Amino acid sequence: MVRKIATLLAITVACALGVTGCSKDPMKWDLVNITGIMEPLAFSLTDDHGQAVTQDDYRGKVALLYFGYTHCPDVCPTTLARLSQALSTMGSDADKVRVLFVTVDPKRDTADLLKTYTDSFGPQFVGLRTDDLDRLKAFNKRYRVTFGYGKPDADGNYEVSHSSAVFIFDQQGKARLIAEATDDVPAIAHDLKQLVSGN
Amino acid sequence: MNLSIPRRVRFGMLNNVSRRILLLAVLAVPFAHVARAADVEVKVDNARIRLLPGNLPLAGYFDITNTGKSVVVLEGASSSAFHHVMMHRSVRSNGQSEMHHVDSLELAPGQSLHFEPEGLHLMLMHRTRKLAVGDQVPITLMFEGDRTQEVVFTVRGAGTQ
Ligand SMILES: [Cu+2]
Repeated sequence: MVRKIATLLAITVACALGVTGCSKDPMKWDLVNITGIMEPLAFSLTDDHGQAVTQDDYRGKVALLYFGYTHCPDVCPTTLARLSQALSTMGSDADKVRVLFVTVDPKRDTADLLKTYTDSFGPQFVGLRTDDLDRLKAFNKRYRVTFGYGKPDADGNYEVSHSSAVFIFDQQGKARLIAEATDDVPAIAHDLKQLVSGN
Repeated sequence: MNLSIPRRVRFGMLNNVSRRILLLAVLAVPFAHVARAADVEVKVDNARIRLLPGNLPLAGYFDITNTGKSVVVLEGASSSAFHHVMMHRSVRSNGQSEMHHVDSLELAPGQSLHFEPEGLHLMLMHRTRKLAVGDQVPITLMFEGDRTQEVVFTVRGAGTQ
């Protein structure tokens, strides 16, 4: 018993001194782990500069994929704000991350609007779009989500239902984690730090 | 009908009418204003708007508490800074998120409600003027019984909650 306690104490002291191999389990994730469950990142879209892009343009970056729309005043900016706050705790590592905001409302979300919108959250945010609704649906379906349009009001405004999840891919484009609306900034920051360091 | 009504009587009738109009104008209108300002016993805190670029719809958030002794019903809001203000609730089910209209919200005495991200929000549509971070925007909350309360909202950046 005494020996056991002594061993535990030794390990604790070693860890506190920063001896390698006894840091907190590096594979412990705060977010939902989807490694091996979801499809890898793959798309062919247009970015907010009007350039054709694919998943290969974001290789080497941890990619955060979110399906939203700019006329969404509550859920979308709240999600992006949380991601922005998590990134702001990462210092220079934040540049190893890209947030890919894929609009499910390409009719209203022009490349220019997407650009000003994503810029207001930070330099790591990129707007992606396609006018091909079938392609957009297929891209949503790949991650088992969907979107739909509400009835326009007298002014032609309409609401869009969309996925609330953020799908997170590692530098190789492998699906790794899902962040949901209930996940707070420290949880997101914790897992992103682990991902950018190659875990 | 006798057309030869004595002048005195006719003047008297007119005077009655104008007296009534005067009474209505002098008493009723100011009374209505006093009633509006004094009757809603609510406390509103933390009122803020999250700014997005261009003329995108914005969300307004706040905490409200019924500090009175009777039920208060919030029925909507309006502001000179926006063409439309609506009450919405964001709802999530099966990983999908959408917004629902809210007609009215009842607050029992002592009860608080939080308009907060991913829940209740004021949907602020079509700005009538440019807004910038730090701006103070008055929004009038409207309650059952034609009662109102003006609240000043602070405009905050896109990356804030
Ligand atoms: Cu709304």
